Amino acid sequence: MKKRTITLIVNGETFELTVVPNELLLNVLRDRLHLTGTKYGCGVGECGSCTVLLNGKATLACMTLVVSVDGKEITTVEGLGRYDALHPLQQAFLDHSAVQCGFCTPGVLVTAKALLDENPHPSEEEIRQYLRGNLCRCTGYTSIVRAIEAVSKEAGF
Amino acid sequence: MLSDTKILPGEFEYFQPQTLTDALALLAQWGSRAKVLAGGTDLIVKMKRLLVEPECLVSVQDLPELHGIRQEQLDGQPADEVAGGASLRRGGFETRPPDSAWQHALVIGAATPLSLVEKDPLVRLHYSALYEALRSMAAIAARNMGSIGGNLANASPAADTAPPLIVLDAVLRLASARGGRTAPVETFFRGPGFSLLDVDELIVEILLPPPRPQEGSAFLKLGRVSCDISKINAAAWFQREGGLCLDCRIAFGSVAPMPLRTPALENLLVGAEIGERLLHQVSSQAGAAIFPIDDVRSSSQYRRQVAPVLLEEALRTAWIRTGGVL
Amino acid sequence: MSDSSFLSIGTDTPRKDGVARVTGAEQYACDIDLPGMWIAVTLRSPHPHAKILSVDTAAACALGAVVLTADDVPEVYYNERGVSVPAKTYRDRLVLPRKARHVGEAILAVAAPTEELAFQALRAIKVEYQLLPPVLDAEQAMLPQSAPLYDRVFFGEDHLEVKANIACEREIHVGDAQAALASSDFVFEETFQLQRIYHHQMDTKTAVVKPEPDGGLTVWCTTQSIHNVRIQLGRIFGIPLSKINVKKTALGGSFGSSIQMNSVIPIAAALALKAKRPVKLVSSREDDAYDHTNYPGRIQLKVGVNRDMSITAAECHFLVDIGAHQIQAYPLLGSTAGWLVSLYHWKNVDYWAKAVYTNKVPACAMQGYGNPQMNFAVESMVEIIAERCGFDPIAFRLRNYVGTGDEFWGQGPTVRSIIKSCGVEESLRIGAEKIGWSERGQPSQKTGRLRRGIGLGRGFHTSGAGAPQPAEVIDYSSATVKINEDGSVDLMHPLMDLGGGANDAHAKIVAETLQVPMALVNLSPVDTRTTGYDVCTHASRGIYVGGAAALQAAREVKGKLLDFAGRLLNEFPEHLELVFDPQDQQTYVQTRSIQPETGLPATELPATELPATELPEARQLAAARQPPAARQPPAARQPPAARQPPAGSPAKRITLAEAAKMGMVNGWGTLIATGSLRQKNCPPSFVTNFIEVEVDTWTGVVRILRAVCLADCGTPINPALAAGQLEGSLARYGGYALGEATEHRPDTGALFCEGFITDNKIFTTCEMPREDNLQTYFTHTYEPSGPYGAKGLGEAAGNSVASAVANAVHNAIGLRFTSLPITPERILAALASKEGLPC
Repeated sequence: MKKRTITLIVNGETFELTVVPNELLLNVLRDRLHLTGTKYGCGVGECGSCTVLLNGKATLACMTLVVSVDGKEITTVEGLGRYDALHPLQQAFLDHSAVQCGFCTPGVLVTAKALLDENPHPSEEEIRQYLRGNLCRCTGYTSIVRAIEAVSKEAGF
Repeated sequence: MLSDTKILPGEFEYFQPQTLTDALALLAQWGSRAKVLAGGTDLIVKMKRLLVEPECLVSVQDLPELHGIRQEQLDGQPADEVAGGASLRRGGFETRPPDSAWQHALVIGAATPLSLVEKDPLVRLHYSALYEALRSMAAIAARNMGSIGGNLANASPAADTAPPLIVLDAVLRLASARGGRTAPVETFFRGPGFSLLDVDELIVEILLPPPRPQEGSAFLKLGRVSCDISKINAAAWFQREGGLCLDCRIAFGSVAPMPLRTPALENLLVGAEIGERLLHQVSSQAGAAIFPIDDVRSSSQYRRQVAPVLLEEALRTAWIRTGGVL
Repeated sequence: MSDSSFLSIGTDTPRKDGVARVTGAEQYACDIDLPGMWIAVTLRSPHPHAKILSVDTAAACALGAVVLTADDVPEVYYNERGVSVPAKTYRDRLVLPRKARHVGEAILAVAAPTEELAFQALRAIKVEYQLLPPVLDAEQAMLPQSAPLYDRVFFGEDHLEVKANIACEREIHVGDAQAALASSDFVFEETFQLQRIYHHQMDTKTAVVKPEPDGGLTVWCTTQSIHNVRIQLGRIFGIPLSKINVKKTALGGSFGSSIQMNSVIPIAAALALKAKRPVKLVSSREDDAYDHTNYPGRIQLKVGVNRDMSITAAECHFLVDIGAHQIQAYPLLGSTAGWLVSLYHWKNVDYWAKAVYTNKVPACAMQGYGNPQMNFAVESMVEIIAERCGFDPIAFRLRNYVGTGDEFWGQGPTVRSIIKSCGVEESLRIGAEKIGWSERGQPSQKTGRLRRGIGLGRGFHTSGAGAPQPAEVIDYSSATVKINEDGSVDLMHPLMDLGGGANDAHAKIVAETLQVPMALVNLSPVDTRTTGYDVCTHASRGIYVGGAAALQAAREVKGKLLDFAGRLLNEFPEHLELVFDPQDQQTYVQTRSIQPETGLPATELPATELPATELPEARQLAAARQPPAARQPPAARQPPAARQPPAGSPAKRITLAEAAKMGMVNGWGTLIATGSLRQKNCPPSFVTNFIEVEVDTWTGVVRILRAVCLADCGTPINPALAAGQLEGSLARYGGYALGEATEHRPDTGALFCEGFITDNKIFTTCEMPREDNLQTYFTHTYEPSGPYGAKGLGEAAGNSVASAVANAVHNAIGLRFTSLPITPERILAALASKEGLPC
């Protein structure tokens, strides 16, 4: 396989990487950039644990060839906000106990961000439809929906 | 029992051509050893499961012809002739009225992500069945990745965009280094995973006929959960004149080896005065018009039981969308 | 919800690991990355039953990979679960088998510098199998013509011959059930069929193992018990436990699937030892789906009832299809008997249970451990009886339920204790009001395409597996509390938090005992080397047992602190108390108020002399609330005397931080203590579900429209997280009721979903009721034997969901489903046949 050099802009930081065609974005993020917030959950695009934003759009990193995103901007959960400057969604997830085991949380947060970027004041139904691809086995989703609604009702959204 | 979905185990060359000509040349060169990569939501899964092991992937993400949605003037020529391809084979029945030569078409680049097609105002306004199908599909992230052409090219009997495109009379423009051709979506599928596409061929565009007065369409689906492949889906399209059905098309997904149009049911409606009773009567025959199997998602019996329910609701909604009353 | 009598117990505080979890910084086992680490993959059998004749690894080795086969692993039979006493433990497996017993069983493993290379090497391996006839049905498995999965296994240290593929049997008799049935006014009999489902925890099973220069191992892995993993590895590989260190990492959900040491852990350990370098083995989702499942089974239930609504007897036959290995079937059969006998007063019980080997994915505990299964049977049966006898379903339940003062079997017949707290009546009363029970109507009154129905299911689960007498079950926990030199507190707890917030509850218990704000208590990263033993996070024991250990440690540290403060203040320690001053947000050690009758300060017995299960606060609070103890809203709770500002003359006081600091300066030693205790009770938590469904009679689709989930978990330590347990359980067991099934093809023995969750659907956001239609409620109960009145909740939350859903479906369309899941396909088939029974 031919190696090639690509550029990724991940959470605002530019990385130049030499990659082969069968490298998946998920594994590059986790293993090479050490951004382990994004998770492997099923590998076939059915659980949403690996969701990242690709040029602002929710994308499944487990099914994305890294060569195909050369030059693009990627946002992972680490890019939403850090411990000392949480994104309102991150804060709301804490406030509403929307986190249990936390394994789905990064993918859910990133998807929720895409939702609010697209539709700042979604209805409960719109939230549920937008997040239907992010499986969570712990919470039953109720607290997650509440947390997103709370953010959408805050000023600035 | 041999797979590892954490990685993409196969080794392959990757090309991201910048022009359609280059892409078609690559497909011609690599033939069956190549696969076209659009959104990857189907192909990457198949590769991870070792169901296909291409030696080369040709990405269509940079091909302008395959992206975006636009209106195109066709100067009154039938779409197939404009595209310069072979004449349309209608599988033994002809439902398009002779005067329906398209003035223009809504042209959707085949690699356009499903979510972009869904957001297009014209699609939402005029092609309700397609819009409803797109909204019912998968997760948002998968709709951002997956393309409408990929959904068709995959040739799954459960492809949700197929029945709406069939009833909307959509036509595909296909291209290979050998030239272009067109094919109605209806004739595109040949069996599970099989289509008209030759190994060196691409779907370039999907052409939707211009909106006509007093037409309406609808799509309905049942899955196991909200985010699922269809257990069964149904699409219906009507063109109305007064209380009469001028034309009608009905198609089902996940009930046969390929997306299935049911002319026998349509024939009961075309030219008839539409009312509740007739729609119910026709729908009640849906179970006999399909060829479902038992599979992991549902049973043949269930599919036959709910096909009338889905169809009746689709027909009613489509008829009301024509402006008709029930 | 907040409770004014407590500083932080019962208040909602952000979980300690929350910021790490929302920023992606949390470290799960799969996130561990070590220098020089190789990646491992496993080869899994494509056959359900096949002898492995030969393995050709030459091509794989030529690629530079290290291959582990059955020849490389110790000939040590193990049982991966360490909860039962060894004498009652069956052992039937090796790290890698010489015979594959189910499709997807790992038969060898490969490690290489990259996962791609490891997988390439795996593909190059040739395995020659001798196919054996597969056994894919539990009934047929017992027939003489069926191939045996095992000739013999170990029970304790003894060899045991396996006959007719029966892994184990249990028989339990109370009174004379047959005579009681014969003399009952009515006898009802029904067979219930429960399906196989996959835990579907989001994190797949992982092990990272690093060989250490001293011959030991350091392990990061997915587990519900780090100590069990250490003991298991020590035994299998013959390494002293002092040289094995299992690190506590975050767990991405589990639901019972990691009570046992997961199969990938010893494989990774053996590979690391062979490769002489760190090895990481992360299960792919498809491997994980082929690794564990819940216990499917068939329950035949016969119940005798008299006209006065009294139940006379139950006869129960329970057949469990355990798949290819026995992980904990023997205790399951006993526990499930407990789930039966402790739900209603049967008075007389005949219980026969059998666990059968088949060539399927090995079954293990899943949230409820047989209880959702038994509850579905009993709570369906209760409704059947009520309907046919014309009893009011709630009155019938109230007439016969097991509650305060009754004996409860928390983990089978050997783990019994007396119930001291019970919120059943309150739950039924409040739940019926909230759901509109009296307006639910009869199925015969409902017409049209969409029909709604309301169903009730009530259940319970144990809190831990402790009993006055030692039993078949090991159940104790340890915790270490340290007050640091600045007054901040470290809590070192080996108990794994499955996500529900058990460790936060522990921190809260420590904060409460030391009267410090939650922010001052830190959950230290720990491992087996730095903690005392904890058996496992199972049996909903996290808060009840793990919390009691934390409380014991905190009380001991408090005693030491009071001693330091006494020296500094020149007071007897027993005259001192801890008080949090909300004004300056400081915790003070101060002199107690003067007792008017004696003229002396109030005294407190040294905490270390008290059994942790008999807490003075608990007694006071419980006593203060009688009668009616169970009914008062939390706001009405009386603040305990200890939190009143001292009366009379200003107290002598010193801040906790100052006392801690002076202890160091003066060289008095570290304020540290380890608690280690076994609870001597296993109080049940009671959960009641009222659920409204809507059945589309044309498509068979059932939607859960509304749910009221009521829990008696004693004091909810973390109310919002406790509500999350109820909400999550509704999703999991709603799916169990309506769709989930992870079944095997009867011909090939492969899973229908082939391990891919594409065809193993669980509830998404859209299948759940809208937020305003999902209510949770906590009864006003206080468990005297629990830390600050708390009981468990995790498992109880799920046990009666499926029965409530099935009862709601019956109320909607008049059809009784006796097997799960109630899919649209089965609803339409039943509606079409109009027979209704059995479906």
